[in-house]
Amino acid sequence: MALVLIVDDASFMRMRLRRVVTEAGHDVIEAANGLEAIEMYKEHKPDVVLMDITMPEMDGVEALKQIIELDPNAKVIMCTALGQKSMVMESVKAGAKDFIVKPFQPEQVVEAVNKQVG
Amino acid sequence: MKVEWIQPFVTSAIRVLEAELGMEAQVGELAAERAANTTQEVSVLIGITGQVEGTVIYGTSKLVATEMVMHLTGERRPVFDEVSESAMGELGNIISGGAAALFEESGIHCSISPPTVIVGRGTIISTVNMKRLLIPLILPFGQLHIAVALRSTVG
Repeated sequence: MALVLIVDDASFMRMRLRRVVTEAGHDVIEAANGLEAIEMYKEHKPDVVLMDITMPEMDGVEALKQIIELDPNAKVIMCTALGQKSMVMESVKAGAKDFIVKPFQPEQVVEAVNKQVG
Repeated sequence: MKVEWIQPFVTSAIRVLEAELGMEAQVGELAAERAANTTQEVSVLIGITGQVEGTVIYGTSKLVATEMVMHLTGERRPVFDEVSESAMGELGNIISGGAAALFEESGIHCSISPPTVIVGRGTIISTVNMKRLLIPLILPFGQLHIAVALRSTVG
């Protein structure tokens, strides 16, 4: 069992991801933007982060960069509607371990999380 | 605005509606509009920035939005609440994100802003000097209208 931090500004998407991740047997904490995500990361040191990109306050790529600065071994999976190749490259360059494009199938999320904690 | 710029939104919307709602949308007739937009009962506004910039508006009735939310959340919500707003905003976000990826495939780089959801008919939204292209997507329970107003920021 792992602790997964879900970061998304849409409460609907946090609800959906929480259901998928908890049904896979993991614990979940949530943040609604990049700034909150950094605070949650410092406080809880989650095993995996599922990070949206387009968010108010601080976007997911900036939050990813700051989390990697705090913990170079952080396992951050981007989970976003922005599936452009340039966005994937930028995220991977900044330290993302995986990239899921919305709309996703629940199995994709479970597989990506389990791969990081396995 | 170039007519072909609406196509990425239509293509993405058809894909997303099929994946998220499990239903095929039919494409209605394209129209152009210059006057200010009067919102429908539920509207999702998303800003586009980059080599093309402007706004895309997804509009529909509360009845259709409620049906969509039921498919998205797996449960019928008795009132159009915060979760419903969030679900509709996210639907607009996912469609627009898919459109941005299609733009990139044709060499146009752009990004999207977080969605703004307007509930209530009759809000006037002006895209100022930009003409909008409108296209309805027809679903089994009603229509989702896509209005796109974009201009190039290069060349």
